[in-house]
Amino acid sequence: MKRRGFLQAGTGLVVGFALPGCTLPVFPKRPVSGYEDALGWIHHEQGRFTLRLPRAEMGQQIATALRQVAADELGVNARSVEVVLPTTGDTARVRATVGSESVRDFALPLAQACATLREALARGDTQGQLEAEPLPASSLRAFRRRPEPRAPLPLVHGHEIVTGAPLYVADVRPPGLLFGRVLRAPTSPELPSRPVEWNDDDARAVPGFVALVRDERLRQAQAHGLGLVARTPGALDRIEAALSVRWQSEIGGHDGASVARLLDVDTHRARGRLPHEVLDEGRVDEGAAWDVDLRIDIPFAAHAAIEPRAAVAAPGADGTLDLWVGSQDAWYQRDVVSQTLGLDAQRVRVHPCRVGGAFGGKTICTVELEAALLCEAVRAPVKVQWTRTQEFRQGFHRPPSSHRLRARLREGRLVDWQHHFASSHILFTSAGVPAWLQRITDTVAGDPGVARGAALPYRMPNTDVRFALVRLPVFTGPWRGLGAGPNGLAIESAIDECAHAAGQDPVDFRLAHLTDPRLARTLRAAVAAAPPAPGGPRSGRGVACGTYKQHSHAAVVADVQVAPDGTVRITRLGCAHDSGHLIDPDTVRAQCEGNLVWGLGMALSDALEVAAGGVSSDSFASAPIPRIHDLPPLDVVLIDEGEAPGGAGETIIVAAAAAIANAVRAATGHRVTRFPINPAVLAQT
Amino acid sequence: MELDINGQRQAIAPAWRDERLLWVLREHLGLVGSKHGCGVGQCGACTVLVDGAPARSCLLPVSATAGRRITTVEGLASADKGLHPVQQAWLDERVPQCGYCQAGQIVAAAALLHEHPLPSDAQIDAALAGHLCRCGTQQRVRAAVHRAARALARGAQ
Repeated sequence: MKRRGFLQAGTGLVVGFALPGCTLPVFPKRPVSGYEDALGWIHHEQGRFTLRLPRAEMGQQIATALRQVAADELGVNARSVEVVLPTTGDTARVRATVGSESVRDFALPLAQACATLREALARGDTQGQLEAEPLPASSLRAFRRRPEPRAPLPLVHGHEIVTGAPLYVADVRPPGLLFGRVLRAPTSPELPSRPVEWNDDDARAVPGFVALVRDERLRQAQAHGLGLVARTPGALDRIEAALSVRWQSEIGGHDGASVARLLDVDTHRARGRLPHEVLDEGRVDEGAAWDVDLRIDIPFAAHAAIEPRAAVAAPGADGTLDLWVGSQDAWYQRDVVSQTLGLDAQRVRVHPCRVGGAFGGKTICTVELEAALLCEAVRAPVKVQWTRTQEFRQGFHRPPSSHRLRARLREGRLVDWQHHFASSHILFTSAGVPAWLQRITDTVAGDPGVARGAALPYRMPNTDVRFALVRLPVFTGPWRGLGAGPNGLAIESAIDECAHAAGQDPVDFRLAHLTDPRLARTLRAAVAAAPPAPGGPRSGRGVACGTYKQHSHAAVVADVQVAPDGTVRITRLGCAHDSGHLIDPDTVRAQCEGNLVWGLGMALSDALEVAAGGVSSDSFASAPIPRIHDLPPLDVVLIDEGEAPGGAGETIIVAAAAAIANAVRAATGHRVTRFPINPAVLAQT
Repeated sequence: MELDINGQRQAIAPAWRDERLLWVLREHLGLVGSKHGCGVGQCGACTVLVDGAPARSCLLPVSATAGRRITTVEGLASADKGLHPVQQAWLDERVPQCGYCQAGQIVAAAALLHEHPLPSDAQIDAALAGHLCRCGTQQRVRAAVHRAARALARGAQ
């Protein structure tokens, strides 16, 4: 057996990160799509309409909603509008599908374009490009309020999903397809690592072996990769085993405890004023006694989409590259791949596919570049789909956060509110932004993703809300709701303690302090819809509420029963949701249900283990997600009083986990301060 | 080597005989309804029926399935009867969000209803406990299984 090594001179000195002066990473562009762009989204030919969907479809059913908008505005049956997912060659650039923006920002221009088309067809114009002034929203048919709710229409792709027809990127099978994988060290890609030795001959002897690919561009952040190409997917596993790669990795002593030390908010507070301000009104007195003083710690969490990310790259004619992706941003994939491969952007044609769950995680370029580079190396179509272990080790995650929340009350009302927290980057994700550049973004921009949801919806004279950002040895980035999930959990836990301290009902206490009448209405609706609270030993009800991105409102009521061994059984989750005008209420309801389940996961299970310089959770066994038997009945109240449409994909997550924690408090008297909830701390001794 | 898939004999080329059933279905035969989710039998997205019982195709060596009756999600619907009642119930309840896990859930639900024509919630939960869905469709999955059970009961009368 021959083990091949390669020159290691100097690698022992590799420390730290990319240096200033290195090439800037490719940043996602964020154009605002308007009426002019939307004219390219809707087409008419011989009585058939085609909607070139300007958004990624990942289960939020934006295809179904925008088809509805188009059909209503055109005055045709939705079934006569065919939805296609356009390639990057077919439409103008659109920004990433993130932040629950798709109805809010894309429905209006689409409806305007459809109105123009409708008027043209009425005039008998059936040829050529259209130009006309956009109609104002008030005169569009798509946004008229309907006196009667209508039966939901079939989901776009619904038939394909239930019959198993090809839809997702891994379902793409161009002729001559090969299978690829890029091996990396088991440590975090944030830490320098490279392959130093492997069994070359053994690997080549595996049936189905096609190629080993050494290429500097196969680097993910600091992790150098070793590429494999094989004739079957199973051969990849056998080749990987035969290679038995020895890795040189920097671990730097990083594990769960070191991450906790890096984040410890009290350590940051002891060093001085936290650098990033969210609220600073009046004057919060540091010295006097507090009525509530709470420390809350929330761990890393994975997106855990059931579809591991995948890509297919195939050489096209004339030096072009066809790239199939399951991404929240097809255009960003085009930019990174074309730049890295030295191709004109127009020569990379990206085909977006339905995404098998994303939740913020499919916003970076990883597997897409791996597939493109392997395709370039073997000059044949290559499919790469990450293993589940790669998803955990090499993906980015919800950052852990450490919160200190303190409050003072006077005559039952909030007077002083202090919320200090430490977290890691979200919008300026470490998976895409090198450390040197983060030092600049920290200074000029902070991280609005980390701050999201920290400006609480309650009225009080004095506020002091600030945070610190810490780059961690594990990649962090956007996760459903960004900072609003963990911030909502921390804030609503503390507000609940304030209600207890004031001796008030938690709903009354919130209503007395809420500033936004829509949120108050939402909270009242959630409470009104709840059945009488269950009795019984160690049973309790909790509430929480919040507003997402100023446009959508959430309130959740949770009922729990805590067993003598501390196991928390959630017996009901109900919510009320107000995101203004609803295009397709049932798909909004589905988003609310999903967010309730995510809240259940945040409270009871979401966590990733970190050890030996990386994420050590490598399967759903060590990073569990909620299962069907964990679910209580979910009740959703949708409020639509005709306000402008907001977003629905992330709203309920701001309140769901906190409602559960508050129910546990009501049931046991114990305030949960570390998530996920450890049953041992709730066990009756 | 030949497999019996959805009532059809399928020849398996030599290069694919050492593969797991999932890869043979998806990449050799083009039956892409069964999905790769975890590769170690924990998520259920790859579930198919082998002699009528749910099995994780990501774990099954294809050689172990020769001579056995394999049913995938593509084989549930029939040309004369249309969609299987479970598939129709899934559409009627608008179960799918992203949809990636749903084929495995549908196949497992069809097997459950074969064994328990009118399952309780507890039986549904037990049968589908190994099927992960990150989108949070579980409540609709339960509703769809009950709806399909009612449809099957009506059809049997």
